[in-house]
Amino acid sequence: MMEKGYVMRPGENGFERAVGILEMVYKFTEQVSDEAVEGAANFVFPELKNTVLGLLELPANRGLEIFFFQRLLELFWEAMRAQSEGKKLIFIPFTFPPELFWAFDSLFPLCTEIVSGAIVNICYGQGERFWDYAMSLGLPDSLCSGNTIGIASLLAGPGLKPDAIVYNTPGSCNPNAKIHAFAADYLGIPQFILEKPVDESPRGREQYYKYLLRFVRELEEWTGEELKEDRLREVMQRAYQAVELYNEYWELKKARPCPVPNIFSMTLLVLRSQMWGREDCVEVLRRMVDISKERLRKGEYAAPEEVARIYVSYIYWLFDFYNYFTWMEKKGISILGDILAIHYFPPIDYSSKESMLRAYADIAFDYPMTRQMGGETISLRWVDDICYAVQDLGADACVFGGVHACKHTLGTISFFRRELMKRLGIPTLVLIGDVFDKRQTPMEIFQHEVETFVDQVVSRKKAGRRRAKSG
Amino acid sequence: MAVSGTALEIKEIYDPYVQKWKEKGGRVVGYSCVATPVELVEAAGLLPYRIKALGNPRTDLADGEMSLFNCSFCRSCLQLALDGTYDFLDGIIETNGCDHLRAMFENWQHNKNLPFFHYLKVPHFFRDDSLEYFRGELELLREHLASHFNAPVETESLRGAIEDWNLVRKRWRELCELRELPEPRVTGSEALALELAGSHMTGKDFADLLSSFIEERREAPGRKPKARLMLCGPATDEVAWLEEMESLGAVVVADALCFGSRAFLHRPGTGENPLDELAEGYLNTIFCPRMYKEYDKRRSYILDAAKRAGVDGAIYLYNKFCDLHGTDSVLVRRDLENSGIPVLVLEKEYSAAADLGRIKTRVQAFLERIGGGAR
Repeated sequence: MMEKGYVMRPGENGFERAVGILEMVYKFTEQVSDEAVEGAANFVFPELKNTVLGLLELPANRGLEIFFFQRLLELFWEAMRAQSEGKKLIFIPFTFPPELFWAFDSLFPLCTEIVSGAIVNICYGQGERFWDYAMSLGLPDSLCSGNTIGIASLLAGPGLKPDAIVYNTPGSCNPNAKIHAFAADYLGIPQFILEKPVDESPRGREQYYKYLLRFVRELEEWTGEELKEDRLREVMQRAYQAVELYNEYWELKKARPCPVPNIFSMTLLVLRSQMWGREDCVEVLRRMVDISKERLRKGEYAAPEEVARIYVSYIYWLFDFYNYFTWMEKKGISILGDILAIHYFPPIDYSSKESMLRAYADIAFDYPMTRQMGGETISLRWVDDICYAVQDLGADACVFGGVHACKHTLGTISFFRRELMKRLGIPTLVLIGDVFDKRQTPMEIFQHEVETFVDQVVSRKKAGRRRAKSG
Repeated sequence: MAVSGTALEIKEIYDPYVQKWKEKGGRVVGYSCVATPVELVEAAGLLPYRIKALGNPRTDLADGEMSLFNCSFCRSCLQLALDGTYDFLDGIIETNGCDHLRAMFENWQHNKNLPFFHYLKVPHFFRDDSLEYFRGELELLREHLASHFNAPVETESLRGAIEDWNLVRKRWRELCELRELPEPRVTGSEALALELAGSHMTGKDFADLLSSFIEERREAPGRKPKARLMLCGPATDEVAWLEEMESLGAVVVADALCFGSRAFLHRPGTGENPLDELAEGYLNTIFCPRMYKEYDKRRSYILDAAKRAGVDGAIYLYNKFCDLHGTDSVLVRRDLENSGIPVLVLEKEYSAAADLGRIKTRVQAFLERIGGGAR
């Protein structure tokens, strides 16, 4: 029963199979009952069960996640139709603001890490076969599953293939840049690079802007389509509608208990990496904000009390939504964000193509991870930004969900942990695992470590502060 | 003692050559990446010192800063910084070679707080716009060296240093020709030892050392190897390791190593002044997987070197967790094998004695596969 309908079909790759399974999201209405959720969870295989429950078990986020995944599915369908409709399908990494690409009528950007995420959270076997396939090619096991699973799915099977690969992480993340370059070389398709100089001076920013103009020119030449000012304005205005909502979302996170459901952290990540600049992104984000406001008004929270407010100082682990996001929420642990949730949006001047591209260059320069790992110093830029988020949102502690591929953060985590404690007195739990591969560190270990950390360190620290105040 | 004996005995980080330099009041600036124009440092009257670990197996202090998922060569170098071995350095030039290297430099600076710490930002591709930026970076380096060390870099002295280092590169090519002979006069481990010795010398002294060594070996009898190997990979400075491999009967007759031939590929640029020349010469010849959209260039270089030396097989060697070389190795293996050159890819830990037996067995099996074991 398990295998039927879930295994790869002839002519498909992992992405297409994930899309096929995701179609079940149309079986749900936004007012789906607890019984229907339970029934669906019991019907599917265990890995998908954790996705279904992670998205739908808590009534607060149920309607939103159904709405969101329906929009995401529609976007995936668009991606699958794109080439037959004369568009060029390009893969972009999650470190690249996608809005620029939506301004080209002849391009369809698909985020590599969103493809990986879809395969891991929807497909039977969680994409492990694709990781293993990459290893069978001889690729090193220290690469990042975040992009390697999606890329390997392309290399391994028939089905959807991109027309080009775009990346922007040379110098800020070797595994990310390298696997994208490798795929382009291996498939013999064009690759487009936007390098961010590790230079935060005005000279560095100006150089980045020059690179961006050249990047746009190369895309224009390749597609035969000029980037039109009106189209760019339309997309950037929509992107900035999302920015306003993002700012509200950030403010809502400050409330105690945090009214924003934990799973929205994942939703925001997908919106930003794949959908920013589109109408559906604005609509989903607006609903997220409305739901959170309503919860704030009613004082709703999933647990009897908010035990800890955690800032994930790097990135979430995303292979088991239920045992990560939902588990923490039910335990009274609010997730306030991760490094990918910290965005810097400059004021934008819509008056000309140049002024909008200037703003876009600033957004991309300060894009999460590009900003920190591509900073003049990884460690200082990273700790500065996390300190800002921790203070602004009132976090009690940090959890570093390290990913074995991320050599930049792993190489500076000791400094980071010491510095965070020195500056703010905030402790950090350091864990090593993987974003998409449960075989590195199972979620049971994560739960055990987080539970112990919260009980032994965070709660005691808070109790100590309370005693000190009352005494 | 013959030149070869002296040159091949580099055992200390704080080498007698450097000690003498310091005793005379000279100042020493460390760097790690071959994209660093040593001419500029030397023209400022400073001794450029390429950071190395010489097989140091200890990493306990460095492990407190970097994780075990970081390159053990970088951790080994950091260890030597933290334990004081590198305290003789008067400054450091960081480059954005790879994620590991950047983390190593940051931890180095957080812990030692060197008075001179310069970040030379090297673009990841060679184009007119990146070249212009890199040219600006060299200007900034020149200014920083001049202001910090009160050592202005005059055009004449820069031209002199460029000439010296161009001569080094010429000599290195001559050395390679001796390696490429049907009966090689120089082994791979000897070439590596020479490179290590020269990586903390002035260009003039290094060129002299190479000249004497080449002179000595030109008349020496050659050695008929069981197999002619090419070695590709990153910065490995483990001479003893290479000696062990060659003790199996093969000779490394060509290499594409960062401590090795890749350090000498700089070609004089076409600019009007020396800085233009350096910028183009360096940025255009970084045959390292850190460079993007340049795989075709790397492939051509490796295939040409392999063919010129008539290799029977190639070993692609890299340290565990090196994503740059690990990923490139797949393409290099494919392309070498398509050209009829068998390839062994070896992933190892830096200076891990425990790894040696395992790796020797694999190399032995590889030599048998390519016919070298049975000859």
